[in-house]
Amino acid sequence: MIGVLLLLLVQAPAQADSGHFDHAKHAKVFPSCVGCHAGAARAGAPLYPDSAACAACHDGTTERRVRYAPPADSLRTNLRFSHIAHQARAPKALCVSCHQEADTAWMAVRLPVVRRCFECHGIRTAHLEAPDTACATCHFPLASASRLTRADVGRFPEPPSHRAPEFAAGAHGRLAQAEAPVAASCATCHTRSFCLECHVDAPERPVIQALADDPRGTAIAVTLRPPASHAGPDFLRAHGAASRLPDASCATCHTRQSCLTCHVATPAVAQALPAAGPGRGTGALVTRHQPVWHTPAFVRHHAPSAETAERTCAGCHTKSDCLECHRPDAAAAAGYHPAGFLARHPAAAYARESSCNTCHNPAQFCVSCHKSAGLVATKTLGSGYHDANRFFLAGHGVAARQSLETCTSCHVERDCLTCHSALGGRRFDPHGPGFDAARLLKKNPEVCTACHGTAIPTQ
Amino acid sequence: MRRPLVTLALLALPAALDAQGYRLRVDVRGQAVQYRGVTLDSILSADTVAGVGGGPVTPDGIAVQCVTGEPYCSFFRPGPSQRSDPLSTTADFTAWGLGIPGLSVHVLARGGADLGDAAVSWPGTTPALQLLEGYAEYAQPRYLIRLGRQTVAAPIGFTGFDGASATARDARLGLEATGYLGWGLADASALPVTSAALNPLDDFQPVERQLVAGAALGFRSAPFDVRWSYERQVDRRSDYFVSERTRVDAALRPLPGWSVTGSAMFDLAQALWGNVDLRLAWQAPSGRVDASVGASRYRPDFDLWTIWGAFSPTAYRSLDGSLDFAPWRGLSLHVSGQAYRYDPTGANTGLVEVQSSGWRFSWDGTYSGFRRWTLDAGYHAEFGPGAASRGFTAGVGYAPLERLSLSAHAGTLDRPLEFRLDDASVWMLGGTVEYRSAGRWSLSADATRYGESRKRPDAAGFDWNQLRLSGRLSFYFGSEVRAGGIPEAVERMPEAPR
Repeated sequence: MIGVLLLLLVQAPAQADSGHFDHAKHAKVFPSCVGCHAGAARAGAPLYPDSAACAACHDGTTERRVRYAPPADSLRTNLRFSHIAHQARAPKALCVSCHQEADTAWMAVRLPVVRRCFECHGIRTAHLEAPDTACATCHFPLASASRLTRADVGRFPEPPSHRAPEFAAGAHGRLAQAEAPVAASCATCHTRSFCLECHVDAPERPVIQALADDPRGTAIAVTLRPPASHAGPDFLRAHGAASRLPDASCATCHTRQSCLTCHVATPAVAQALPAAGPGRGTGALVTRHQPVWHTPAFVRHHAPSAETAERTCAGCHTKSDCLECHRPDAAAAAGYHPAGFLARHPAAAYARESSCNTCHNPAQFCVSCHKSAGLVATKTLGSGYHDANRFFLAGHGVAARQSLETCTSCHVERDCLTCHSALGGRRFDPHGPGFDAARLLKKNPEVCTACHGTAIPTQ
Repeated sequence: MRRPLVTLALLALPAALDAQGYRLRVDVRGQAVQYRGVTLDSILSADTVAGVGGGPVTPDGIAVQCVTGEPYCSFFRPGPSQRSDPLSTTADFTAWGLGIPGLSVHVLARGGADLGDAAVSWPGTTPALQLLEGYAEYAQPRYLIRLGRQTVAAPIGFTGFDGASATARDARLGLEATGYLGWGLADASALPVTSAALNPLDDFQPVERQLVAGAALGFRSAPFDVRWSYERQVDRRSDYFVSERTRVDAALRPLPGWSVTGSAMFDLAQALWGNVDLRLAWQAPSGRVDASVGASRYRPDFDLWTIWGAFSPTAYRSLDGSLDFAPWRGLSLHVSGQAYRYDPTGANTGLVEVQSSGWRFSWDGTYSGFRRWTLDAGYHAEFGPGAASRGFTAGVGYAPLERLSLSAHAGTLDRPLEFRLDDASVWMLGGTVEYRSAGRWSLSADATRYGESRKRPDAAGFDWNQLRLSGRLSFYFGSEVRAGGIPEAVERMPEAPR
């Protein structure tokens, strides 16, 4: 029985100057365990011998001197074990029953053979596969094992059950609730702090609240990967509906901040989740990234999608995201357009690689800049500037009809009215194919009066 | 009577504000640009000589503008170096939980100024303070009401106005209806059409803001979305139309990965079809291939308080396609092209030859298979009436830290222009640094040198080299902004596959 005291050596610190006592080497010296470990048999007696006991032989004459000191610190363990109590309840048990394998030489002692504990206590499994109810038989809850250090906790072995794929997903919760208020097996190794590494819904989970709060619980490293569903190609599109299902478990890992990472325009969607705060885990950190269908081509052709499903866009985008391009900042550098676009914008603008006017007010953006660069008609439309072609003025019609927006980035209406007015000049007719004079007259006759005055033709 | 009410309100206030939340993003951006200016000059018309095309030029070869009967011709000659330093600050603010469930306030405002040479005003920096949006919103599951300055998706881009909008929806049926009414802002601007900043050349300008009214009706379902929208703008002074347009957008998703989208705009005021687009897209389940082909029609759209619509601008029709392909992890390739042809203009004279078709083509690739390095390269070319360009770009990115990235980029460009004496070749070389903090701010800065030489032997062939420095500093504030780092136990969500 005395040998059972070795059980207490679990995680024992290096015993200062004591070195390792070689029991086997002393097999012929000690016929009994309690000769040295009296405390295992008698209440109040020391569990370890003092240095004088060694010096009785190791006096430098009979045997060389050794340096030995009994452990100064109490042993760091979470075992719920008393040698005296076990002796009383199992008087026939010997020290070697637990501290020695069968059929081995006297004093071939070792750390307690856990199997022996299980045999006596009727447990028929491997140590780490013992049923939940069995753990508390031998172990204190972690919060009560106050002498264990954080490092000790970090070295706890991981039960095989914890490696099962479904364990992290939800099985561990069911196991924890199998025993009220919380399974003892959980409390043996874990505290509430451990749960808070993932659970943001801890205040709403009685089983978590039943665990004592102890920061050493976080010494057990755990990696929680996002559920497989989150990697699905349609997850982004479908997660909203899924989150509204009765059995949705979003609130386990996600706080309101998870939603708001993306749903900046619709904060109401996050109201069902708890806000981060004391007593809750930080939760899963959601990284905002663009959906797969936002390809480079999507930027150029997003209009129909944005028009028909504005609320889908609003899931992640505020109107300011739209206005970032549609009302561009004067001091902004490259954004929608690539770096250096300014240098090549004449070609892109001439045949409208994209519609400039959708984002740029021509007067505010184009004309004012062209004006400062000298690209402006200073008087009326004249010959010479365009290609230095003296005939350009006479033949500009095709170019003007093809890219009238480009013309208006340097020219104003009066430049053209010099010739294209029925009130004076050369009275050149500017109207082209498909011009519906009657309709325009009906919608806004003032346009007509600009050139025709009050004598607007009816045909 | 008033005192008890005030007391009651004060007692209720803490409870109301307890659920209050807000978000504020502040973007500070600035540029520093130095470039060659121009100086307006004149020359006696008698002193001009005939240029290459027969038009008048100065003796040293600068094209001039002459008006018949006037003794002087005008032209711009190279001027002193100029400096522009536009600086802007944009604040995007949202507050909710104001005591009435569903009530929130949104403000998007921008302040800016050009700190450079007083003689030059950088586009968009006046007036100094511009309110892009500022409205109160009351949102309930079945309806939404907004009051104030706002923008809405309209037949031609975003329409801004000061007024009210209301949206009603039935999520079960997938129906949504919107209506809005207000005093309009100018197209693509936060300013009213009466603003002097929108009339840099002192031309005709409306004297009153227009009245804007619009409506939209949409239907959404898993395989099919459609939205019809209508908008009219009316000149309040004359009660005549400024514009009247309608548009239909639709998206069809018949099979996983496949989509067909389309839109068509009709100008009711002029009875003309506007922009039309039809597109077929396919995305591989793996996300590694994304392809689209489309046909479109583009036609300029002018308001009726200008005369430009009466000049019958011509539409062009185009076919285009694009392909994004990731053959293996880390490598992505993109290629796209477009060919277009203008409708007949009915204005040929034979005096000036103008082409009626053009094309565009580009490819680029990115390799990010290295742990910290990213490589980019690309090429683009376009050729059409009026202008052409072609050039290479290349870049290399390096991320020494998770939140810090550095990159360098370079490019070349040949830019022959038509209808203007301005053939140019451009090179650029620059670098960018970006840093995103774990919490509430991010910073980016870019410096790029442009070398532009005009391929002309005369005085108009001066270089237009520029050094452009730009920076952006963003701050995020809010009641719901996460300030902490990543919990050890929880890994990041996986990036979407490419």
